[in-house]
Amino acid sequence: MLIPTTDRAIETHSLVKTFHTKHGFLTRTTRSTEAVRGITFHVNKGELFGLLGPNGAGKTTTVKMLSTLLVPTSGSIYIFGQDILQHTREIRKRIGFTFGGAHGLYGRLTAIENLRYFAELYALPPRETHMRITGLLELVGLRDRGNDRVETYSSGMQQRLHLARVLLHDPELIFLDEPTVGIDPVGARELRSTIKQLKNQGKTILLTTHYMAEADELCDRIAIINQGQIIAMDSPASLKTKLTSDAFIELKTSSENLPTVKNVLAQLDPDSEITYNQRAFVWEVNIRTRQPGVVMELLAPLLSSNLIQTLGVRNQTMEDVYVSIIQNGAA
Amino acid sequence: MIGNFFRLGIRQMNVQLRMRVLSLWSLTLFFTQPALFSAIGMLLARAVGNTRPDLVYTVLGAGIMGMWSGLVFTSTYDIRADRREGTLELIVGSPTPLRRVVGFRSLLNILAGSTSMLAAVAAALFIFDYSFSGINIPGVVISFSLLLPALWCMGIFLANMLAWSRLSGTFVDLLEMPIALLCGFMYPISVLPAWMQQISAVFPIRWGLEALQDALKGSLIDSVLLHKWLIALGVSFVYYLLARWFDRKLHDHIRITGELHSI
Repeated sequence: MLIPTTDRAIETHSLVKTFHTKHGFLTRTTRSTEAVRGITFHVNKGELFGLLGPNGAGKTTTVKMLSTLLVPTSGSIYIFGQDILQHTREIRKRIGFTFGGAHGLYGRLTAIENLRYFAELYALPPRETHMRITGLLELVGLRDRGNDRVETYSSGMQQRLHLARVLLHDPELIFLDEPTVGIDPVGARELRSTIKQLKNQGKTILLTTHYMAEADELCDRIAIINQGQIIAMDSPASLKTKLTSDAFIELKTSSENLPTVKNVLAQLDPDSEITYNQRAFVWEVNIRTRQPGVVMELLAPLLSSNLIQTLGVRNQTMEDVYVSIIQNGAA
Repeated sequence: MIGNFFRLGIRQMNVQLRMRVLSLWSLTLFFTQPALFSAIGMLLARAVGNTRPDLVYTVLGAGIMGMWSGLVFTSTYDIRADRREGTLELIVGSPTPLRRVVGFRSLLNILAGSTSMLAAVAAALFIFDYSFSGINIPGVVISFSLLLPALWCMGIFLANMLAWSRLSGTFVDLLEMPIALLCGFMYPISVLPAWMQQISAVFPIRWGLEALQDALKGSLIDSVLLHKWLIALGVSFVYYLLARWFDRKLHDHIRITGELHSI
């Protein structure tokens, strides 16, 4: 029996969601898909919590259950200590959510009209609505485009408008499902900066993303979800130190010198993991090894004879951690 | 509280007007189509030697046909469009109940659909020099006023069906013509076989329309007309209660099946 605490923004226990779909015309068969399989976690107030996982891992289903859009098949969810099934309407006033992509806005209306419309759904008083819309458009950098139809917006601008919509009623808890998907690097950086501002204002944020660097930069804690189950959960720093003592070595070489590099690397112990990525005319080689000294000794002559262009040891990234966890199972 | 309610209503209707009603497709549906129906009906009647075609079944029928088609397509299209555009999730996930949003939108659809009647009447007046003499004006006004809630109640009921499942759209589309035929849009209901008349009794539009047809033919406000008004009100109310019941079930159902978004 879970005893909810009010100092936690989210608390879930053994959360399960199964979808049943019917197939066939004459003989109907029901197929069940278990999208979420017994997830238990909590998010503290004021925390920025990341939910990472591959496509179809159950991230969006989890977020939809937490944001009252889906009813769990079993398990419990408490938002600010309130049971989500019994206090749905009260909880909706305190949360905001957005699901990435270009959906969720009325294209033929302007940004201001869209925001006014959603403000009405949250019963904001007219004077407050006006002030908040002005402030939010400023916050997301759309003040000059507020009177333009949303259908003329780029996907980055639409994402920013989504964020403004989420913040209209000043929610305490915000769910951002892949907020930077489809945005150019500059736009994504601006959006991340806005998310940081929100965290500094004391908002609790649950973020799902495919971008590991983003999760590393923003999140206080991260849960990695795969096949409907949480397989790792900790702070980004702890995950990075806890998971592996391997070193990561990176080098760049040309296409013509790649066979020589491959020959040299063939001498490494079989536990070392080598990946090759072609970037235009340059090959980027990543080596994950337990013997960085040996690798550097082998490669140093290639560097001095200009067979490789760059060589260096780098820190483990969230992406390394993520790939390792997803490939090897629970941490 | 009441202020919030009306502001929500105005905003919903504004969005509905801008997003769905003010389009070439809707204007054709609401205005051009009924005017064409009305004109063709008059021309056909004249072609067979009827110099004064029946106003009630030719013109009124064309108008009500436009209102009904508009209602079916807009009320059901709204939910489909919201589901496709990802806004249905945002509406359901807000503190405002979906029934309130659907209610205001259907209301605008009905009011916009009323232009169909104007189009049909305008075609009769200006193209065929038709005169509206001998009609029972108070009876027409009351009957038309009862026809609007009858259509509205059916509109919210159908919109709930669309929200229930992605697949129900085709079914609702298929209802358009059968209901028009059963409710006697363009002919007296008495020409239908008895079993069809019995089926049509469950549709509030039939009673509102019959009362309107009687009043347009000059019937006085007597017990027969009153009886039809009461039935129209009663059946509309039953549809309203059904829609409310459906709405409560719907809120849980769509959150269990995950049918809030399009695939």
